[in-house]
Amino acid sequence: MIYYFTNGGEPATPFALSGDQMVEQGTGIKAEVPEGIESWRLSLDPDTNAVNVAYEGMTEEDAHAQKLIDDLAVQASLEEVRKEAQAEREAATA
Amino acid sequence: MSNLSTILGGSSDAVDPRKEGLPLFGLWADDGMNQHANFRIYNSSYSNVGAPWAAVSNSTTSYRFGMLADPVHSYNMSDYGSSLSQGQLGSNAYSDWQQYGKSSAYMIDQYPDTPYYSVSKSGHIQWNSKHQYTSQFEWVVGWTKVNMVLPEGVRPRRTFCNRSTALREVAGTTPTSQVDGYNYASHMLYTGSGSSAVGTGYNEKTKTLVMIHSNEGGSSSHGVHIFKSSKDLNSVTRIKEFFDNLTSTEYFEGSWTVGNNKDNVVVVGNNGYVGIGAKYSNSMRYAVFNCNVLGSGYTTTASRQSGSWHDFQGSTTTSYCSDQGGGYYTRFQTTWDGTWGLIQTPYYYYGQGLCAYAINLENPRKFVNLNQTKTSYSNPYVPIGRTGFMGGNSSNTDSETWQTYEFSFDPTDSDHNGNTEVFYGGTDGSHVVPQSTNNRSWSLSNGTNTSLQLGYTGLTGGYYSTCYPFLTNVNWWGAYGSADSSYGGK
Repeated sequence: MIYYFTNGGEPATPFALSGDQMVEQGTGIKAEVPEGIESWRLSLDPDTNAVNVAYEGMTEEDAHAQKLIDDLAVQASLEEVRKEAQAEREAATA
Repeated sequence: MSNLSTILGGSSDAVDPRKEGLPLFGLWADDGMNQHANFRIYNSSYSNVGAPWAAVSNSTTSYRFGMLADPVHSYNMSDYGSSLSQGQLGSNAYSDWQQYGKSSAYMIDQYPDTPYYSVSKSGHIQWNSKHQYTSQFEWVVGWTKVNMVLPEGVRPRRTFCNRSTALREVAGTTPTSQVDGYNYASHMLYTGSGSSAVGTGYNEKTKTLVMIHSNEGGSSSHGVHIFKSSKDLNSVTRIKEFFDNLTSTEYFEGSWTVGNNKDNVVVVGNNGYVGIGAKYSNSMRYAVFNCNVLGSGYTTTASRQSGSWHDFQGSTTTSYCSDQGGGYYTRFQTTWDGTWGLIQTPYYYYGQGLCAYAINLENPRKFVNLNQTKTSYSNPYVPIGRTGFMGGNSSNTDSETWQTYEFSFDPTDSDHNGNTEVFYGGTDGSHVVPQSTNNRSWSLSNGTNTSLQLGYTGLTGGYYSTCYPFLTNVNWWGAYGSADSSYGGK
């Protein structure tokens, strides 16, 4: 199916009237995407025009759950970095 | 002189006491440890106008300290967490107060005391307790608030709520005491669609109150009443006065489907046309009806509707409406000058991103669709400048300026047969003031969609390392006038 993306590669619209208007005004890119994938999992590489599907092969439910796990993992890693920085600051001022 | 002449019954060029200066917004930042925190208040020119001594605290050894009446100070880490601005702002349910509260387009509407936090002009935070969260006003009956189309610079200062066949006034958005109430059932001309008010809008200029009755679920049967009065609802002492002074009552009935009837947003335009928008499955719908005084023969949808139901034209994905919880109802807010409004829902699950109908409030037949597809690191949207909105982005500001999705409209253009120009920002000043004569704007034919564009603000996120700034609304933008830093020059 056809989907339109922003020049930054974010999903914009599946509707031709709005999408063609974006392409015409230089703010959108038209691409072929796989059927049955929710738009939040779609992105476009603006350099190659290749469509990427996040969590490819997973169901929507599994993909959503995995995103939450990934987000929390990022959060946890940032938390670690902050704790280390905090420990360094406290050691420096001790 | 103008005040004196007004007092003496002369010309009435006095400024409405409700009128505010151009919008302010708040930006919270911290180090993720509740130790370095600051909260800045900016005006519509992105100038810091907060009180220099309003910083919450700065401590390297403990949680925040020192600020009197800090509502967050009394909480421990597990309640408000270590990271008011540091959460990954992902796909979390309401049970996780931080994630829901920080990220969500559900957090903002046109009312100055926004659902779960409001902030004073001097940066005094208000956040409500997360305890009894799902019994709080906004979660349960926030959808009953009347959507107001008001004069320039005015936000709703009284809270009217419509449920069943009773219009009530309540004190702000807390489940405390009712102020007033009136059962208007005797004024209704049609009750065949159900007796639950499910979406109400009011236009102060035309003193017109439009309300839908159906059931508080998914019924497709709707009755719409149009009450016109010689009394302004926002000026009456008792609600009964509005209904005692009706100059016209008409209705029409029809069948349409939205996700849940609690999601209906009714917007009464200055020209008598009324826009009704709502979440519909993962998407949204919008329709316009002629609610001018037409006579008793216009009681069907077909006799009132302008065009047909319009499905949202942007990107959509799984996202929630009132079916999944009372707090997920569709929101409405307006620009400072009251010429444009947004009927909005988030793009992604519990609150990230944006799907919005931008509607001209002079003529609701003129509208475009706006879309932003973030799935994390989001923020609410708030009014900015004379005729715009901004927000939606809380991405890491480490080594970056804080960026935001700002956009604005032409307040004088209400022609639904012409294109709508939507201005947006960019990544440097030359984008906004280019050498060419072209505006940095989209030109959208009526009813079409565009995706919003990030712009650089030049502002620091508020902390030297990892930092995800948290955007808030401000409950009073300052009295309109040149003595106030939020004046804006108009």
